[in-house]
Amino acid sequence: MIHCELRICVGCRMCEVACSAFHFDGVTRAMSRIRVAKLENVGVEMAIACLSCQEKPCLECPTLALTVGDNGEIILDGDLCTSCEICVEECPVGAIGFYDDLPLFCDLCDGATSCVTACPSGALSYIEDHRDSSLASFLQADGNPNQKRAHYVSMQGEPIRKGWKNGLRVDS
Amino acid sequence: MSICNATSLRVDLTHGKIEKSQTPDNGIGGRTWNSVTLMNELKPGVDPLGPDNILCIGVGPLTGSELIGTCRFIASAKSPLTGILGDSGARGFFAPELRWAGYQQIVFTGASDKWAYLFIDDDKVEIRDASHLVGLDITQTTVQLQDELHDPDLQVAAIGPAGENLVRYSIISCNLARAAGRTGMGAVMGSKKLKAIVVRGSKPVTPADPERFKNTCEQFKQRIEEHDEFEARHKFGTTKIMDSLANMGVLPAYHYRTALFDDLKKVNGTALRRDHVVKAKSCYNCNIYCSRYTYTKYNEGEGPEYEAQAGFTVKCGNPDLELAVGVSNTVNRLGLDCISMGEVIAWLMECSHEELISDADIDGIDLSWGSKEALLRLPEMVAHREGIGDLLAEGTKRAAKQFGEEAQKLTVEVKGLELFSADPRGIKGYALMNAVNSRGGDHYRGEPSIELTGDEELAMKRIGNRDAAHRLKEEGKGLLVNYAEHMGILSDSMTICKNISCCMVDVIGFDFAAEAYSGLHGHDITAQQLWETCSHVSQVEREFNIREGLRPEDDTLPARFVDHPIPDGPAKGTAIDIDRMVKDYYKEKGWKNN
Repeated sequence: MIHCELRICVGCRMCEVACSAFHFDGVTRAMSRIRVAKLENVGVEMAIACLSCQEKPCLECPTLALTVGDNGEIILDGDLCTSCEICVEECPVGAIGFYDDLPLFCDLCDGATSCVTACPSGALSYIEDHRDSSLASFLQADGNPNQKRAHYVSMQGEPIRKGWKNGLRVDS
Repeated sequence: MSICNATSLRVDLTHGKIEKSQTPDNGIGGRTWNSVTLMNELKPGVDPLGPDNILCIGVGPLTGSELIGTCRFIASAKSPLTGILGDSGARGFFAPELRWAGYQQIVFTGASDKWAYLFIDDDKVEIRDASHLVGLDITQTTVQLQDELHDPDLQVAAIGPAGENLVRYSIISCNLARAAGRTGMGAVMGSKKLKAIVVRGSKPVTPADPERFKNTCEQFKQRIEEHDEFEARHKFGTTKIMDSLANMGVLPAYHYRTALFDDLKKVNGTALRRDHVVKAKSCYNCNIYCSRYTYTKYNEGEGPEYEAQAGFTVKCGNPDLELAVGVSNTVNRLGLDCISMGEVIAWLMECSHEELISDADIDGIDLSWGSKEALLRLPEMVAHREGIGDLLAEGTKRAAKQFGEEAQKLTVEVKGLELFSADPRGIKGYALMNAVNSRGGDHYRGEPSIELTGDEELAMKRIGNRDAAHRLKEEGKGLLVNYAEHMGILSDSMTICKNISCCMVDVIGFDFAAEAYSGLHGHDITAQQLWETCSHVSQVEREFNIREGLRPEDDTLPARFVDHPIPDGPAKGTAIDIDRMVKDYYKEKGWKNN
């Protein structure tokens, strides 16, 4: 899975640009499989691709179009997909995009992880061992995928905001 | 000739009509389209705050692409502050989103009778009611719209109370604090009762020649990372400038009374980073990510850039950086231009120091140097036009008329636009740029940064003159400013970040811009074609300004810089012969003196 270190993420969206360009040649935010939530009024930003969670509620796909690959990535069978968007809606952190009638899952660029290469601040890394992550506490989150993503990032940002309040600065 | 044409959205706010059209001929994008639109369509002599003014929002042919720094939009209209061409650019993430929605220009005409916002979701474009947003600051407006439209990723460009109240130096901001700050574009938006523009776009920018364009993008990334200034810009952004200006002897301390500021180390970029910066921040697709998020006891937010940092410290004689950062964030939220606001406060403090005005003239507010009360209260009063804030909202040129001739002599503006936080006497290319450029007193129109390098070979290569490499020489500056102006127009049209293209000396040239354009669009243009289009648009802007009443004698600097040399510090004794330099510039442009 792709991990983003919130403390370091600067919110530049270079990961989205690289992801979009890798898979489609062109660039637009909506074509990216990694998505940056930018909570600009609290200074917290973070990129989220599929977190390869234990729960995998996306697998409730009614046509069984989704399977799990060797690296924990979700694999879509486009022929089976009916564009119902249930997987997109079910993801507890809004990590699944939807473009041109198909859900977009992080496929790790077949190993190239172009977002990690593009990340200028070093916030992104590829983590091989993904089995520990649980998103159980976010399964009941309200809202649409963009709102869920923002909610998740807001929760992740709380400790660092506490740090700022207590005097933590960029170089400390 | 027309290098690029794209879809322009025409929004008639009087009649609530929305149409799709084409961007005008004779342009590259962004500023060139906007300036040509204003020249072609604006009736001469209209009230800048009346319904006849036209507000253009333009992005460019590279915006939203994979090329680093292509993140800006340009807002243009007749300026309520200067009465001539007004335009200003903002970075952030709004411009790429607008491009992805399928539009490269929005032209607002007329005025709504009720407060409204424009909603754009790809092909769906609607004028919607904004009455519930009135009075909200820029942060509140943005968050409210993202909340009620159930999309925290929406891009919003908004005005604050200052724009609503037609403060002549109010801003349009996206991403809360990325401002189109200069020349009062927020007031024009306010006069049209347009509170915000909201956009969501999903159409890709796809290169016609992916391999060629990718190669250009890689090269640009590399050029930036290998540039001499990369590390400093990356770490301090524009706040690195304060130490450089101090070393050059051009700090505007105590409103230009001295180039020395004893508490420099308390307020410079190092102090800001150490004490108040909690994280680095970036605009769209940038490997420098030079911006910063600050957290103080007053508030938090993105910023300050150098101009706010210096404007609310050095210029006002204030050694309290935390206060300045707090004021900067407040000024952003209220929707005021930090450069003009800082200049208003510093000028008042100097007037008070010279006993030209009393505290009673300013509603009893303490105007001593560095006054916390003045710094905290005046922006609020200006934004809401309360008490003396109503007069100060008119800008220093108009406000000074109320305080007599001596107070007028202390103002630091050209054509009504307040100057930056540096002393033009010791950076003569910048001085000339401030005197002659098409939006009034401003350094950022194009940065004659070659004069800061001392690199004669570079000056020779780019403009064919060695003297231009030296900031204290007046020779060669007509050529240099003409070149820098072309770079500025190119950047404002391609909508590349000028902190990269104009400030990082020689990181990009016309040849490189032509290559980037050609790869993305699939038809070849040359550096020469781009240069000629910029020349043409420079001429259009001049003609526009003359049509609006500009006279050659307006191309000058405040008398205090011409009549008096810098009093102290490393550039002590430096005066400036601005008339000679303006003549030199006119010669380059092929203009006569009348």
